[in-house]
Amino acid sequence: MAKQARMARHMILDMIFEARSSHLGCALSIVDILTALYFGDILKIDPKNPDLEDRDKFILSKGHACVALYATLALKGYFSLEKLKEYGTDGTLIGDHNTRGALPGIETTNGSLGHGLPIGVGMALAAKKAKRSSRVFVLVGDGELQEGSNWEALMFAGFHKLDNLTLIIDNNNLETLGPTDKILSLAGLHDKLESFGWDTESICGHRFAEIIGQLNMSHEKPFALNCHTTKGKGVPFMENDHIWHGKCPTKEEYERAKKELNGGLQ
Amino acid sequence: MRFEVVKTIYKAACSDSKVVFLTGDLGHAHLDDFRKNLPGQYYNIGIAEQNMIGIAAGLALSGHRVFVYSIAPFVTLRCLEQIKVDVCYQNVGVVVVGVAAGYAYSTCGCTHHAIEDVAAMKALPNMQIYSPSNSLEARLVTEYLIKTSHPAYLRIGKGGELSAEKEYGLEIGKGLVVKPGNDITIFATGTIVNEAVAASNILEQHGVSAEVINIHTIKPLDKELVEKSAQTRDAVFVLEEHNIIGGLGESIARIICECNGNKKPIFKCLGVPDEYNHRAGSHQYMLGCYGLNAEAIARQIVELYKKA
Repeated sequence: MAKQARMARHMILDMIFEARSSHLGCALSIVDILTALYFGDILKIDPKNPDLEDRDKFILSKGHACVALYATLALKGYFSLEKLKEYGTDGTLIGDHNTRGALPGIETTNGSLGHGLPIGVGMALAAKKAKRSSRVFVLVGDGELQEGSNWEALMFAGFHKLDNLTLIIDNNNLETLGPTDKILSLAGLHDKLESFGWDTESICGHRFAEIIGQLNMSHEKPFALNCHTTKGKGVPFMENDHIWHGKCPTKEEYERAKKELNGGLQ
Repeated sequence: MRFEVVKTIYKAACSDSKVVFLTGDLGHAHLDDFRKNLPGQYYNIGIAEQNMIGIAAGLALSGHRVFVYSIAPFVTLRCLEQIKVDVCYQNVGVVVVGVAAGYAYSTCGCTHHAIEDVAAMKALPNMQIYSPSNSLEARLVTEYLIKTSHPAYLRIGKGGELSAEKEYGLEIGKGLVVKPGNDITIFATGTIVNEAVAASNILEQHGVSAEVINIHTIKPLDKELVEKSAQTRDAVFVLEEHNIIGGLGESIARIICECNGNKKPIFKCLGVPDEYNHRAGSHQYMLGCYGLNAEAIARQIVELYKKA
């Protein structure tokens, strides 16, 4: 899985550098979570049948990190690696935020924050209604939890005991302009979530075994997994620096980043 | 009108488990049947409209035909971005039912008035807008919407509207001539169609033969019928319980301006001026504030038409 994650990080760097786009730090932050979901046998999916009715569903609510999802879906075999060369070109459907229908495996359209969890609640409700065993996973950023719509959905899911719904928080404590706990703190997040009727657990979001172990556990309530992550993970000079939320690397920075991803090797 | 809409959805839901009804904690007793008999297809989401639209989109993406129900401003403007992104951009089968169009909640103040909703919904690609004038039309439009799978906004009154005198049909997307006339056309939408008909009766006494066309489908709009009126009538008036900015009138004006015909009729939007009304009163009082009752409509039309 470490190999898959490293490949995904290389692909992310390549895509963002080639397209002169941004959100590099945000994408690198979630690579290990996505790798665990897609390669750790968590999601019950079939890349050859992406619309299978009883599949598990994954919603990337922090849509600005979508290149990480593109890379992961390609590595999983939903489409060819070649397909991602369209990213950043004129007329492409593969834009800077995930759009339903743009690529197989993308369940929802996201971009504006705070939309993924309510949609996930609707999908979890539909699965319950149909007595399907499928699960719904929604990945949000920590800063995204400042959006009030999340708390409407958290209240609803907790009250209705949607035990087939899992919220994964990419908690890198950095939003666009700085540290989340300095801008609008989520202090006491676990207490807040638990008081809304959710089970919670906190782990390192870069350790596959921990992520997989937690996501394999069953719950009688909706479950929120608070993943402590590092923005820009994998490229030391980009790590924990909010500037990489919106900055596109220069050629020198790109080459240095590629080298650092390989542990200093060419 | 809302009773008819809910009854129609309930009837369909009884035989089709894919039909789901969500309410933002509004509806009272007329939702009792749904609540008691179809608990798996009825959810009171609570007073949380943004979440309600997101949940509706999630259900629709899972194959359901979803109706969301609340007071018009709450279920359109409060959650406008959710309607844009989750419903319209993804193009999923959610029908937004907005109760109490215009000034139907006349005494409740601007928070409960819906005079901007059509403008907001109209600007959303993939969104269709239906605005029936009575319970019969509300039922017919709802029956149509149950069978389709596109996003739609159903703008209805809050109850106490005039009923249709007899059963008739309507063609979705086509205006309905409710009263023939030769000199002018009055296009009207929603419950105010009744005022347009009453105004046309007054106009007869002034020697003006007014055709009244009921636009129950605001989007997509019946372009052909608008062009026909523009080319065959001396004047076209649009009557609506909505801000004149962004409403039906502007849509009709655009069609007339873009029309290739030689004739340019007199044109006037009769709606709500671009302001908030801070006064409270009966529905009729509110309409009267802006000359939107039959007498005032007829008076304005006579002044404009006879002057020209």
